[in-house]
Amino acid sequence: MRNVPAEVMAAPGGEVLAAPAVRSGRRRIAVSRTVILLGLVSLFTDLSQEMVTAVLPLYLTYQVRLSPLQFGFIDGMYQGATALVRLLGGLLADRKERHKEVAATGYGASALCKLGLVAVGGAWLGTTAVLLVDRLGKGIRTAPRDALISLDSERAGLGRSFGVHRALDTVGAMLGPLAAFVLLAQLPGQYNTVFLISFSIALIGLGILILFVENRRNREPIDAEPAAPKEHVTLRSALGLFRITRFRMITLVGSGLGLLTISDAFVYLVIQRQTHLDVKWFPLLFLGTALAYLGFAVPIGRIADRVGRGRVFLAGHLALLGVYLVLRFVDLGAGAVLCTLLLFGLYYASTDGVLMALASPTIPERLRTSGFALITTGTATTRFMSSVAFGAIWVAWGPQAAMLIFLIGLAVMVPAAAIALRRHPEAAAA
Amino acid sequence: MTATSSRARLVVFGAIVGVALIVAVAAVVLGGGKDPVAAGGARAVPVSRALVDAPHIVFRDTARGDAYGRVGIVPLSNPKARPAITGLTCDRVYVAGGRGLCLRAGRGVITTYRGIIFDARTFREERSFSLPGNPSRARVSADGKLVAYTVFVTGDGYNQIGFSTRTFIRDAATGRELAQLERFTTRRDGRVIHAANFNFWGVTFARDDNTFYATLGSGDKTYLVQGDIARREIKVLREGVECPSLSPDGTRIAFKQREGGGVGPVHWRPAVLDLSTLRARTLAETRNVDDQIEWYDDDHVSYGLPEGPSSPVTDVWKVPAAGGGRPERVISGAWSPAVVRGPATATYQPT
Repeated sequence: MRNVPAEVMAAPGGEVLAAPAVRSGRRRIAVSRTVILLGLVSLFTDLSQEMVTAVLPLYLTYQVRLSPLQFGFIDGMYQGATALVRLLGGLLADRKERHKEVAATGYGASALCKLGLVAVGGAWLGTTAVLLVDRLGKGIRTAPRDALISLDSERAGLGRSFGVHRALDTVGAMLGPLAAFVLLAQLPGQYNTVFLISFSIALIGLGILILFVENRRNREPIDAEPAAPKEHVTLRSALGLFRITRFRMITLVGSGLGLLTISDAFVYLVIQRQTHLDVKWFPLLFLGTALAYLGFAVPIGRIADRVGRGRVFLAGHLALLGVYLVLRFVDLGAGAVLCTLLLFGLYYASTDGVLMALASPTIPERLRTSGFALITTGTATTRFMSSVAFGAIWVAWGPQAAMLIFLIGLAVMVPAAAIALRRHPEAAAA
Repeated sequence: MTATSSRARLVVFGAIVGVALIVAVAAVVLGGGKDPVAAGGARAVPVSRALVDAPHIVFRDTARGDAYGRVGIVPLSNPKARPAITGLTCDRVYVAGGRGLCLRAGRGVITTYRGIIFDARTFREERSFSLPGNPSRARVSADGKLVAYTVFVTGDGYNQIGFSTRTFIRDAATGRELAQLERFTTRRDGRVIHAANFNFWGVTFARDDNTFYATLGSGDKTYLVQGDIARREIKVLREGVECPSLSPDGTRIAFKQREGGGVGPVHWRPAVLDLSTLRARTLAETRNVDDQIEWYDDDHVSYGLPEGPSSPVTDVWKVPAAGGGRPERVISGAWSPAVVRGPATATYQPT
């Protein structure tokens, strides 16, 4: 991988053909139609989702009258349930070789939940139940969707495929809050209108998935997977993935780094506290990060394909370390804030899709979804733990101490992760 | 994918997009139709001098109609009368001692919030200032010298959905900020206490223009606190009191008492605390009250309640302050009542 010349990877941006083109004897990798379609599915779904997410705190406080603490508690319980369906969905998708159908179930459930919010009319029990189903839908769909992306991409272009998908995804995530607030500005208090429009947008995403995306089957050469291909996928065989050293190392490294990852809410909060930024500008911090992520996603994915996904994944955490350093030691001015958001976007671009691209070649095709589900369950769990820990340290000793502890932790963890991946060079350069 | 099935798919997709568009358009049209601002007709009478010179109630109009969100007035002698509607639009409003405080959100992609101090006789703006978040509570001291307000500050909590509050006191005549409660020294049983998750809200002023009462929230607990503006100090009086409201005679505090909790929604019942004994008594109102209670007279308290579940239309009710009796609807389509007993002239002027 390291010896592939630059021009091979640098396919023109407009090239979105499914068939890999051949030029001067070398294969030129193009982003597949499925990846673009899945990117569009995610764009519409995220647009729909973020519209609701953006107004949810207001809705829950003013209409449902739930206290933040209660919502936090319920949300915590949902996290556990999501991990479970993530794994079940992964097993089902692998076993039946029906990634698209399982993903569609997840996307469909979340779409229906937008109608559900209207139907329960702000009753607290109904609303929390609908939100649970919505989370479950998100839990189910992520791994089979990423499996579809990885199964439909050339191995050498995995980083770019995930980069393209995440870029489209981010466009939706940026437009969602904007759409919601424009709507609420026109129709104050009409949350149901926001939910219904969110539903119709989700419907379009679901339509693209069901009508145009197709499952890929048995593309992997026989010699890559010596085990009998018809063997049933079970929880045991999924957990058996941990016997694959590279997969084990990647999951471990991803989860370990997750323990030292501060959630974006905290990053923005620290910026806001230090700059005494007016709270009304808070959404701009999110927007700035998303823009940086959007800009970096594809180029970083390409670089990852070229220099090694493990390296880029680790470098992404160095960007995160940069964020911590700036937040902890620099007197934040406009320039420093901008720099922080750029680094934070760079971190997302170098880690989110890249981790999936890094792991893909280590997971046999028939277990791809389960493998992704295991990794994301690991990272989601450790990130959740990190949020709780960061919040607790913040309350006990203040934000400065919390930043410092996480900074030192990450500074130790990144070299450790580098050593772990270096011991298994296939992982570093996969 | 054959050519025919490919065309069929495109047709189905076109149909899906069509359905999505119809749902979206229907949602906007129906949502617009249900918008209380757009529906209904005028029911207002003009603001007369006689009305504001006599005892009256100032409130935020929430009846369906084009006056939604405007400040309305009814005579205290006949609160069921058709309200007079002023030109002022507020999310929260309060008047006392000839001055009013109006908190308003300018909704948009980036929502901005403003506080407006106005003359309670002419309802003309005197001065305004920006608010750092979504309006929650507004109060004016009895002589109109001080204003206090609480706003929700989004993203200030440590879980994503977290809300926290900030409470400010300003000099009404000059608009100068006198205090932010979060910066005061807080004591409990003489010891200084502090935590990052301290939130203050719901100020009520005593007659001396220096003492006030408010809520301190920390984690899942709420406390009644007494503050001293000059000494910039706050002391904790008692647990379990939210949104205090000092009675006109200064002997009792009406407040919201939290019931239930756990994983269910918060339920608040109005209660009255005797300041000399710190004993509380719940009132006959059993519905969920999420409004800063206002003393109707020495024997009754009033508060807003939504007309139905999650309805934007609210009514103002009153209930005996000594317990017993029954809640009684005072004004339909109203929120944030402020009872003005004397003439609406500013009793305090800066020297």
